[in-house]
Amino acid sequence: MDYQTHEVRDIDVLVIGGGIAATFAAIKAKEAGARRVVQVDKGTVGKTGNSCFAAGVIHVCFPEDDLDDRLMRLTRAEGYLAQQDLIQDHLQDSYPILEDMRRYGVRLVMNPDGTYGRMAGRGAYPVVMFYSTQLMDALRQHAQAIGVEQVNRLYVSELLAGNGEVSGAVGFHQYSGDFYVFRSRSTVLATGSTYYKGIHPGQRDCTADGFGMAYRIGATLCGGEQNDQPANAMPARVDVGPGMNKWMGEGAVFRNAKGERFMERYSPKLKERSGLPQIIAFFCIEARMGRAPILMDATHLGPENMERLYQMLPLPQREFESIGVVKDGKFQKLVEFCPTGPTTRPGVVVDRSYASRTARLFAAGEACSPSAVVTGLAAAATSGARAGASAARCAHDSNGIVGDNGLVGELRERAFGPLARAGGLEPDHVLLELQEAVIPYDVLLLREGSRMERALKRVETIRDQDLPMLGAYDLHYLRLCHEMRNLVLTAELQLKAAIQRTETRNILREDYPFTDNVNWLKWIMVRKEGDRQKWWTEDIPIERYPLAPKREVELAYLWRVPRDLGIVSIQDGRVQWEFEK
Amino acid sequence: MGIRKIDMKLCIGCNVCVDVCPLDVIRLNPVSKKAYIKYLRDCQSCFLCEVECPEDAIEVVAVHERRMVTAW
Repeated sequence: MDYQTHEVRDIDVLVIGGGIAATFAAIKAKEAGARRVVQVDKGTVGKTGNSCFAAGVIHVCFPEDDLDDRLMRLTRAEGYLAQQDLIQDHLQDSYPILEDMRRYGVRLVMNPDGTYGRMAGRGAYPVVMFYSTQLMDALRQHAQAIGVEQVNRLYVSELLAGNGEVSGAVGFHQYSGDFYVFRSRSTVLATGSTYYKGIHPGQRDCTADGFGMAYRIGATLCGGEQNDQPANAMPARVDVGPGMNKWMGEGAVFRNAKGERFMERYSPKLKERSGLPQIIAFFCIEARMGRAPILMDATHLGPENMERLYQMLPLPQREFESIGVVKDGKFQKLVEFCPTGPTTRPGVVVDRSYASRTARLFAAGEACSPSAVVTGLAAAATSGARAGASAARCAHDSNGIVGDNGLVGELRERAFGPLARAGGLEPDHVLLELQEAVIPYDVLLLREGSRMERALKRVETIRDQDLPMLGAYDLHYLRLCHEMRNLVLTAELQLKAAIQRTETRNILREDYPFTDNVNWLKWIMVRKEGDRQKWWTEDIPIERYPLAPKREVELAYLWRVPRDLGIVSIQDGRVQWEFEK
Repeated sequence: MGIRKIDMKLCIGCNVCVDVCPLDVIRLNPVSKKAYIKYLRDCQSCFLCEVECPEDAIEVVAVHERRMVTAW
C-alpha cells in the first residue's frame, strides 16, 4: 500500500472525538494555555456522534436548585455506583458551563426578562432548551476561532503508548488513505459510547472506539455492566429520534398492546417522566408478559406543544413528517417504541481531574466509566471542560514527548490489515451477528445468567472466528472493520461484567432480584495485561461520600413494583412470572 | 429507505452534504462534480444532508435503510 505517512508533531493536547465533550476539552485546553491543540474526528467535528442530535434539552443545576438533592437523585440513578465527588463537581460546573456556551454563541431558549427558559422534561428538575444542531455548530466555530486545529474524516485506530505513558495516536484518513501519526504531550479520549448501531438514528457512528483503544494499551476500564441509563427508548420501526424527553415533557404517553397507559401503574407519580432505568425496566416487563408493542401516543398534543417541538426538535419532527406520522402540524398516528441497544459501558476509569490511570491519558464524556460521567450533554460538557484543562496542565508540566520504540510501523500494518483481505468477511455480516447476540432485551436489559453466558459464547465466537477474517473493499469499509473490532470487544467486556454482578441494581436480573448493599458496593474493573484480561473489583469508598445506602440486602425497587402489582413473585431467590404459573 | 435521492439538476457540488454526513454515505463525483450516494446501506436517516443542503436537492425518508435488529 502506497499511502503516505504524515507526522503531526509538537502537540500539547490531542483531543480524539468531535462531540460536545471533545469540543469542550479542546476549547478549555486552549483557554488553559495549551499552545497547540489538535482535535481529530472520524466524521466532521460538530456533526458526529450523539451531540449534534441531542434532543434540545440540557440538565443544568442552577444556583437556585438544591444541589444536594440533585446529587442524591443522580447517585440513586446510578444505584450508588457513582463517584459522588465527580458528580458533585459536574453539578457545580454545569451552570458556569451553560454561561460559557452562551458566550460561545450557543442559542438557548430565554425568557423575555433575560433569564433562562426552563421547562419540564423527564426527571424532577426543569431543563434548559437549545436549538438543535446550532449548539454544536457554535461550539465548533468557537473552537476554530480560538485556534484549535480540527482534522476531519480521520479515523484514529490506536493510541501510541510506551513505558506506561500515552504519547499520541495514529490513524488513517478516510479519503486519502494517508496514515497520520500524532505526537502529543497529553491526549484526551472523547469518543463516546455505543448503541451497537441499532435503532438510534444519529448515533450509528458511536462505536466504542475509545474503549477499544484504551483497552489495547492497558488502560483500566470499569462499568461494563452499569449506567444511569441502561438503554434509551426510541421509535422502533422508523429512523426517528432522539426526542423522548421533549415528547414526554409535552404530554405524550406510552400505551401497551392492550391500549393501557401502563406507566401509571408502575410509576404513579412521574409516569412517563420517570427515569430511563424505570422506563426501560417496565418496557421489558410489559414485553415479557406479551404486552408489546409499546406505542407512543402524542395525537392529543395541541398547536402550542407542536410549535415547541418544531423549534427544539426540527430533525425528528421532519423525520416524522417524512413518513406521515406528523401531518398538518399534528401527530396522526401512534408510534411504536422499544429500547435501543444496551448502553452500559466499559469506560475509562478517571479521577477528579479526568486523568486515567495511564500517564498522559485523559477521558471525557461517555468515553469515561459510567460511575464518573452520567448520561447527557451537560455531563459530557463539564467532564470535557475539566479534562481539557487538566490535559493542558499535564502538557505544560511534561518534559517532552516520549518516543514510541518503533511501534508506528506495526500500528500502520494493523490499521491497513483488512484492506489486504478484500475477499474477507464483510463488516456488515459481523455486525448483524453481534447485534443478534446483544440487542435482544432479555440479554442485557432483562438479565439472567445462562442467557448472558450464551450471548457471551456467541460474542467470543465472533471475536475468534470472524474478526481475524474481516476484509475491507476500500477505506470506507476499513473504518467499519475497525469499528467492528471495538464493538465486539465492548460486547465481551459488557457481558462479562454483567455476569459477574450477581444482583439487580438499576437493571433487572431474574436470577438475582435483590440489591446487595452488603457485598456489591463495588466497581468491576478490567485491564489488559500482556495477552491476559485481568478482572477485579474495587470497593466504592462510600464512607467518604455524602450519600450511602443502608448496608443491607433487599428486593430491588424495580422488582418490588411488579411484585406488589402481582406480576412476579420471588421463589428460592429467583423471579417467578405469575403468568407462567 | 434513508437518503432517497440527490437531484442532479439542483446539486451545485458545494460538498456540504459530504461534509456533514456522519456515516460517510455521500461523496462527490470527481467527474460530474456533483454529490452522489456511495454507501447507501450506512445511511441512518439523520436528515443532516437534507436540512443543510443549500439547494434543497436531497430527499430523505425516515425508514430504516436495512432490517434492524430490535430489542423484541
